[in-house]
Amino acid sequence: MKTKKIVFLSLTVLLLLAVGLTGCGGSNKSAESAKPSASASTPATESASSSAEESPSAEAGPTLAGDFEVQYCVGGYGDSWQKSMVKQFKEKYPDVNIIESAGPKINDQMKPRWIQGDPPDLVFIDCAGGLDVLQSIKDGQLMDLTDWLKTAQNVDGELISDLLIAPAEDFGGKNYTIPFVFGSWGTFYDQALFREKNWEVPTDFDSFLAVSEKIKASGMEPYVHTGVHTGYFTGGFLFPAIVSANGDDPAILKDMADLKEGVFKSEPVMKALQQIVTLRDKGFIDKASGALNHTDSQIQFVQHKDAFIPNGLWVENEMKQDTPAGFEFGMIPSITQAPGGKYIANPYTSPIAIASKAKNPEAAKAFIQFIYSKKAAIEWAELTGALFNVKVDLNGSKASALSISASKYYSSPDLVVLPAVTNNEDVKKEWENATLALTYGKVTPEEWADRVEKAAAKARAKNKQ
Amino acid sequence: MTTKRKRSLFIASFILPTLVLYSLFIFYPIIRAIYISFFDWSGSSENMNYIGFGNFREMYSDPIIYKAIANDYFLIFWKVIGIMTIACFFAVALTRFRMRGASFYRVVFFFPNVLSIVVIAVLWRFIYNPSLGLLNDILSLIVQREVEIPWLGDSRYSLWALLPPAIWAGIGFFMILLIAAIKSIPASLYESAEIDGAKQWKQFTKITIPLIWEQVKVSIVLIVITSLNGSFAIVSVMTEGGPDNATQVLGYYLYQMGFKQYHMGYASAIGVFILVLSLITTAILQRLMKRDTVEVS
Repeated sequence: MKTKKIVFLSLTVLLLLAVGLTGCGGSNKSAESAKPSASASTPATESASSSAEESPSAEAGPTLAGDFEVQYCVGGYGDSWQKSMVKQFKEKYPDVNIIESAGPKINDQMKPRWIQGDPPDLVFIDCAGGLDVLQSIKDGQLMDLTDWLKTAQNVDGELISDLLIAPAEDFGGKNYTIPFVFGSWGTFYDQALFREKNWEVPTDFDSFLAVSEKIKASGMEPYVHTGVHTGYFTGGFLFPAIVSANGDDPAILKDMADLKEGVFKSEPVMKALQQIVTLRDKGFIDKASGALNHTDSQIQFVQHKDAFIPNGLWVENEMKQDTPAGFEFGMIPSITQAPGGKYIANPYTSPIAIASKAKNPEAAKAFIQFIYSKKAAIEWAELTGALFNVKVDLNGSKASALSISASKYYSSPDLVVLPAVTNNEDVKKEWENATLALTYGKVTPEEWADRVEKAAAKARAKNKQ
Repeated sequence: MTTKRKRSLFIASFILPTLVLYSLFIFYPIIRAIYISFFDWSGSSENMNYIGFGNFREMYSDPIIYKAIANDYFLIFWKVIGIMTIACFFAVALTRFRMRGASFYRVVFFFPNVLSIVVIAVLWRFIYNPSLGLLNDILSLIVQREVEIPWLGDSRYSLWALLPPAIWAGIGFFMILLIAAIKSIPASLYESAEIDGAKQWKQFTKITIPLIWEQVKVSIVLIVITSLNGSFAIVSVMTEGGPDNATQVLGYYLYQMGFKQYHMGYASAIGVFILVLSLITTAILQRLMKRDTVEVS
């Protein structure tokens, strides 16, 4: 009897211990989930060693010291450029302790810090899950850089605002962000194929229709896009078309971003939508498009199922593995202008920003002055194959051929470079949905305009709150 | 230590860990979601603006919500019919028809359950691919001309196209559930029915169905609940709610609102709505499927 009791008791104790331990495990987890900032940032944070020599920097720049935290994601552009910049910056300002919060998922990992009001000093807004610029400005998370940017010079003494290809975006007269990547949407085709078939590369909408007719007759589909991410089609086709129809005046894009009443019903927009209708009615848009995500559509394109695709400059790099030998990427900035009209280059950019609650804004500003130099821009082009948002001559550098030829485009007078605009996400989603519906004939241009105007009205009401 | 105390201690040792974990990972998030649903919050800043029932009022006037509800119930309805019919058929075939290789088929039919739903969705994306996909290739062979139907890109087919993968992925689990139920029915019942001259169909409707009704009920409720919460994965991989919201479901709309359009408050309100909807649906289903329980005595 007694032994039985002892056994029972010891079992109970064991169980209780187990309970206690599980409980502990649970509460540990709760502590973690309540305060994930510490645990989330540690694995990705790398602190550059602060054991540099005491000697003051050669230039008589401002004396900078203390911790300086920079957040950047490791995505399509890799991180070798940022690593190199940090290293060089460190050499120049040895008293600054640079904390790099970086990684492929850094946007998610840093989110709790932004929510808690403990953001890093400088942030590269890029990759999935990055800050929504408009929302962050509304929430007061980004520093107003308007006045600083007017006079800010880079390390070589050049005015930064003069160097930018795409100027800092205007948010109600203020600047909060500076674009750092510069790329362009456009219409891509295979130069080798066009030579072989003797097709003319289109220079305007009429010649585009003419060559599409030939392509269709040859049994190939002329134009494919990704219906799952309609932003490629609006970026490469619709927006340039709207600006062309507006007499090459890009101000209309700003009006669209500002959700001005009636802008989505205005004549330039309706004209551009009519061009989509033309494409659709002639059967030039591959019917498959609606079902394709970006990879699917790009595969169709490199496999010569389709002749044209709206895309970004990164496409050559992205499809390297799947591109058949002999394929030569060619890019036309826009195909929607009237004969004799100017090309429209619609840029895509990713911006950099300083947090309004930055603890070391001076270092953040110095870092911006450091990276917006021609030397850094060349290094970016060589390391990432993309363009940095600084006007620089890439000839003789190791940048990719597409980048070099694209960088030449942007200094040409026959080309209108559109400003970078950030659009309201709700309204953007609605016009993307409506645009896809338009390519299938599910809505008319008038219905498109009504839908988007309605979404804009709703967003306007929300902004007033 | 009194016996009573020991007893409660013993019981507590079983209940407490579960309770703690349950509260932490299920109950707290639900409460938190309800709390957030009363705020206008982007999900990435300190600013949370209390707006009471504002998010719910907005949902009331949001046409996409209605579309998503309709799509959700469309999927649920056809999934219940599809999965239950096929699972029932397989279960009966594998237990009652004394066919050869039954265990082989059991494994084969269960196989999709082992795969992640994401893998299944990616697989079916390839099958549906308009110009490179298997389905259009087969159709082209049959009709002797090139078929290029964009299954996932045309709002006429896209929602229907989500059904086969969803059903295919669901059959195995419920088939196993029903097999177990059928196997627990005493063989003597079938024998006497056979002697009385009852054919397979009679046996199925008069013996099998009444005796496995409990399991059928559980299966249907499970399908309904998992569909309301779980259509997200398949929609996210296959269509992202497109084209033009044709395949939008509440689960994906929640994600889109919260993480792509930065309305975390609104997303939480949708989450609360899904919770309420699941509760109501389950209650109604329990009512509808109430039957006198038949027990083997």
